[in-house]
Amino acid sequence: MTTLAYTPFIDPINAQDFWFVLLLPLAFFIAVGYKAVRTVDMRLYWRQVLTFTIQIVGGIILLGIGAYLVIAYAIPSLAPMPG
Amino acid sequence: MSTDRATLDIPAAVLAFLFPGAGQMFRGQLYRGAMASVGVLGLFLSGLLIGGIDVIDSKEDPIWFFGQAIVGPGAFAVDALHQSQFKAWAKVPSITGRPTWDTRSGYPVETRTWIEPVPGAPDQPGKNKDILRRGHWEWRTPTDASATAGPPNKKSIAKMNELGTLFVTIAGMLNFIIILDALMPTKRSKPGRNALDKLDTPAGLAVDAAISVTSTGTGS
Repeated sequence: MTTLAYTPFIDPINAQDFWFVLLLPLAFFIAVGYKAVRTVDMRLYWRQVLTFTIQIVGGIILLGIGAYLVIAYAIPSLAPMPG
Repeated sequence: MSTDRATLDIPAAVLAFLFPGAGQMFRGQLYRGAMASVGVLGLFLSGLLIGGIDVIDSKEDPIWFFGQAIVGPGAFAVDALHQSQFKAWAKVPSITGRPTWDTRSGYPVETRTWIEPVPGAPDQPGKNKDILRRGHWEWRTPTDASATAGPPNKKSIAKMNELGTLFVTIAGMLNFIIILDALMPTKRSKPGRNALDKLDTPAGLAVDAAISVTSTGTGS
């Protein structure tokens, strides 16, 4: 069996250890596309893109913190594990 | 009676589906359309870069493909390429007990081998009865003497597959919004609804300073 070299767009990248960094381009491109059709005054476009990007990333972080609190504290207090 | 009933711009919507942002460009909003295109294609190509071609698979991930397909012909082209050039045939289990032939992705331990057609070969179970009578790629184990080469692509797993699939599917969802905007031109509210919309507030100036390196294009 032969081992193939990495081919961009065909093989996956190896970013398992820092996958969360990829949320930044995700939020940025969502903001670029969404604000392209929602911004009224296009002079404000990049400002709104940056704002929306920060809002998305901030929202994801808050969701992560919320999920951690539920799993680490709320659920154990409601249903303590035996032992 | 209201006189501002929205009219449907069908040609713009069709163009928007054929290429992200083309609907807005068709209506003369070049900068808006170009940025919509950058957003959708940026997500689409980033997803392919992260998870590889494996993230677009109408056969093995049909639910996700419903969302991905809204990106347009590009998603169908990549899927067709994936199905035709990166998969191979194998016997798969069947509820009838007789394995049937179907295409699937390869496992890392398998090799893809070209099988020459066998005239007069017997019918096989399932809908691909003539598979042995026509040439086809087939998955074999590495120990098989006729094994030639491994899978043509690495199957993405874990976070890379999740994120790549998510990127491409969100690209489709975003393009859906952009197609709707082309179909029914948005009645956009007036600017200045929040502080960041106003150019001269401290918050607005702070954001301006942060993005001073970027261009402020003036589309319609």
